[in-house]
Amino acid sequence: MAKGSQPGEAETLRIETPDLESVIERARGHDTEALAEIYRRYVRRVFGLCRCMLDSRESAEDATSEVFLKLQRSIGTYDGSIPFPRWLLRVAGNQCIDVLRRRQRGRKVIVEIEDEAVVIEPASSEPSPVGAVINTEERVKVRDTIARLPENYRVPLVLRYYSELSYDEIAQQLHLHRNYVAALIYRAKQELRRRLAHRSK
Amino acid sequence: MECYPEQMCALAVDGELPPNEAQRLRDHLATCERCRKLVDALRVENRMLSESLRELSEEAISGLSFAPQHRSWGWSDLAIVAAVLVLGWIVVPWIDGLSIPSALEWLNPYSTDNLTNMVFNVSYYFAHGGIAMLADYATAVGGFFLLLGGALLLGRRWRSHVGLCLLTVLLSLSLPSFALERRHSEFVTVPANETVDDTLLAVGNTVRVEGVVNGDLLAFGRIVEVRGSVKGDLVSFAKRTVVSGTVEGRIYDFSQSLDLDGELGHSLYGWVQSLRVNDRAQVGEGIVAGAGDVSLEGNVKRSATIFAGNTDISGAVGRDLTMTGGSLTLTDTARIGGDLSARVRHLKDVHIADGATVAGKRDIQVRVRKNPFMRPRYYFHQAVWLAGAMLVGWLGLLLFPGFFQATTQLVGSGWRSLGLGLGVLAGVPVAMVVAVITLVGIPVSLMLLVTYLAAIYLAKVWVGAFLGRIILRPTGTTTGDWLLSLLVGLLILTILGFIPYLGGLIRLVVICLGLGAFVWELYRASRPVMTV
Repeated sequence: MAKGSQPGEAETLRIETPDLESVIERARGHDTEALAEIYRRYVRRVFGLCRCMLDSRESAEDATSEVFLKLQRSIGTYDGSIPFPRWLLRVAGNQCIDVLRRRQRGRKVIVEIEDEAVVIEPASSEPSPVGAVINTEERVKVRDTIARLPENYRVPLVLRYYSELSYDEIAQQLHLHRNYVAALIYRAKQELRRRLAHRSK
Repeated sequence: MECYPEQMCALAVDGELPPNEAQRLRDHLATCERCRKLVDALRVENRMLSESLRELSEEAISGLSFAPQHRSWGWSDLAIVAAVLVLGWIVVPWIDGLSIPSALEWLNPYSTDNLTNMVFNVSYYFAHGGIAMLADYATAVGGFFLLLGGALLLGRRWRSHVGLCLLTVLLSLSLPSFALERRHSEFVTVPANETVDDTLLAVGNTVRVEGVVNGDLLAFGRIVEVRGSVKGDLVSFAKRTVVSGTVEGRIYDFSQSLDLDGELGHSLYGWVQSLRVNDRAQVGEGIVAGAGDVSLEGNVKRSATIFAGNTDISGAVGRDLTMTGGSLTLTDTARIGGDLSARVRHLKDVHIADGATVAGKRDIQVRVRKNPFMRPRYYFHQAVWLAGAMLVGWLGLLLFPGFFQATTQLVGSGWRSLGLGLGVLAGVPVAMVVAVITLVGIPVSLMLLVTYLAAIYLAKVWVGAFLGRIILRPTGTTTGDWLLSLLVGLLILTILGFIPYLGGLIRLVVICLGLGAFVWELYRASRPVMTV
């Protein structure tokens, strides 16, 4: 497959949506056509992630281009053990964490505070979960609020609910303990609820 | 059974509870309505979070048309640029047709004379005020830059860019130090009884050589005088350069005025406002000069090629005299051993006295400056230019594919590239002067110069490719697509370059854009690689 399809041929004979596996296979052979196809398919999701993780649109654009520029080489490390989009988002998440880390001159993005590692707070005093929001305005509000959350809340939250990474994967990316990640996500949601409730007042 | 705390439920909803725990929770939910409601609410909340975040990727991008060639210039910008160009096309010839009163002539930026004058005055004021200070601080500054450069090289992991590695290797190869002596003070002098064995780098208000320099003389100053002798070459950057002694090598001169009174072993290359070769002067080989005024009274053994406003010849030229410019005067004493060819604007500006001797052919042409489009040679030149740029683009893409593609993309960042490019265009020569003064910086400065010139040439390739991509909007990113875009873009740039005066401005903008993108990409490429 990888050798059989010449770029010119692929151009003319391409069916509407070539299946992902073959595209990835070709991309691994440094087929620029296939890389472009991957770009077309996933640029939105990658950019969306970068936009959530980073504070400015420009740095999100930079990070997005960086991810796809590096893809040519890094795609060789994709072994197919997890779905490709998930892998790509993980790479993109890493890129963003890298950007954040670089800004803080090499320090960890989120520093684990030891005695706070696992704290289960009583739920009674906390605001209750935010219900479904249907209209776009409210979603914009939610996004805004997330964007304003402190980095140590925002990053794990985005990795969990945008990239849909597991706690273990997030812990691995951020070099944190799994339980601490769980606590951060839990607290991030609490904080989000509090701020949303405050805003709507 | 006791109810579960919210964090447990949240873990369960996120699918992060171990299987046996999850099973127990499920059993509990079957019986406890309160917990069931909580879990449902958490589920809804998660979905809401995912959806809200997801929506961003749709909404945020739709406004930008985030295509592979993402750019911040829209069609509207292009339309404005086009409108300005058309307006310029109409207005500029009209302005050109107006006669400018001679009193205001110095304001005309298109007059070469005044431009040269201005360049010299500005550079002189910069040099005069700047060099004394720079010379004092240069060592510290240079050391700092070297340390910084070293730290950057060592501290960061460079991408496996062949180009960057190559550059680093070349840089380190070029570092072996010269045998060079450096002097700087207000008044640098080599007295009559002194002999300098190495190459001498002299920086000062006045540089005067009365003794002997066995190597080359590199002089920066207000006044550079060579009364003694220089065995090697003389490189001079000064307001006024006077050579009344002997230079056995060549002279490379960038001064406001150059007076040659003595003897020159080889050739003279100069870009000066006023060039005088006095009657006692001997030039062993030829002269190649761009100047406002040239007065040639001495003896030139071989050919002279002169681009000048006014040229007066009363001396001897051993072989051909080629002259392009405003006016040419040959006095009775002038002798040309070969052909005389002159390109002037008006025939009345050529005066050849009856006593003047021209051994070869006399070829005097009035420059048809208005319409180069009529000459086939012009098209041939354009074709060669285009083919050259295409070849360079193709080679570049072959050798550094990622870098070239990324730089092309970065041209799209518009104002950022433009501003950065303008800064680099103006800043690099200053940096080179600083580097030269610091002695160890000379090889660095030369490398910088090469890179700088290469980048200026390549600027049109990147901008051309970018322009082509905007217009063609190719779906693929293959080499073929890129080259086709490049061809289209270069054709457009060539055509735009034909516009009088504005064409020059467009070229400047193109250079700035390309240079800016290049520098930005260089910066991005040098950032550390993340670990996947």
